[in-house]
Amino acid sequence: MKRMNEKEIKILTRDNRVITLKELFQGKQEARKDLAGLSFEQKIKMLVDLQRLACSWGGRKDILIWRI
Amino acid sequence: MKNVINILNEIKDRGLIKDYALGGAIAALRWVEPFFTRDLDVFIILSDKEEKGLIVLTPVYEYLRNKGYDKWIGQWLVIEGIPVEFIPAEGLSREALENAAEVEYEGAVTRVMKPEYLIALFLKASRQKDKIKVQMLLEQARVDIAALKDILNRYGLTERFKPFEKNE
Repeated sequence: MKRMNEKEIKILTRDNRVITLKELFQGKQEARKDLAGLSFEQKIKMLVDLQRLACSWGGRKDILIWRI
Repeated sequence: MKNVINILNEIKDRGLIKDYALGGAIAALRWVEPFFTRDLDVFIILSDKEEKGLIVLTPVYEYLRNKGYDKWIGQWLVIEGIPVEFIPAEGLSREALENAAEVEYEGAVTRVMKPEYLIALFLKASRQKDKIKVQMLLEQARVDIAALKDILNRYGLTERFKPFEKNE
């Protein structure tokens, strides 16, 4: 079977929109840049959520969840 | 977090330290997307009164102990529910501290190391988790590449940056 590259692989997504795998990854990268632009306060709140997740779901009992 | 910043500013105002800046993962988090970390690295320059060649953190720890902060988790002192590590700034980290950006957190003003210096410090440490942060900073933060290259050149880190140059 011929191996397809990122430009060739297409995905049917919401609202019947067709995007390539490459576009999907580009979108993810853009979303990460948007997150990078959040305020310091918002990021710290998200960090605490990650710490909670690591503790409860990940079973990391050695982690101190920050008090903010 | 705001309370920790207030405590750090208090230590500085009382002259126990000359200056401080947030470094490490939390500083990187200021410039990139949120990611997991567990502690707060605080780089400090001690008072000018300190003798050269001997870094004495005792007065800082004494002061904090008198304020009730005496719980340690490994190398971290827990201040207002956050594990904090004080790291004396020397060489590259001292320059990074001196050039740190002023950042507000819920009205409290603190200082955070800039992306160019963080990249240099992460390259200096060069553990896998540091390299990931270098990548994130290059992709997501506004990095002054000329300033970065100058720092890397002065601290002998240019070679370590080469694998990342294609991502500039």
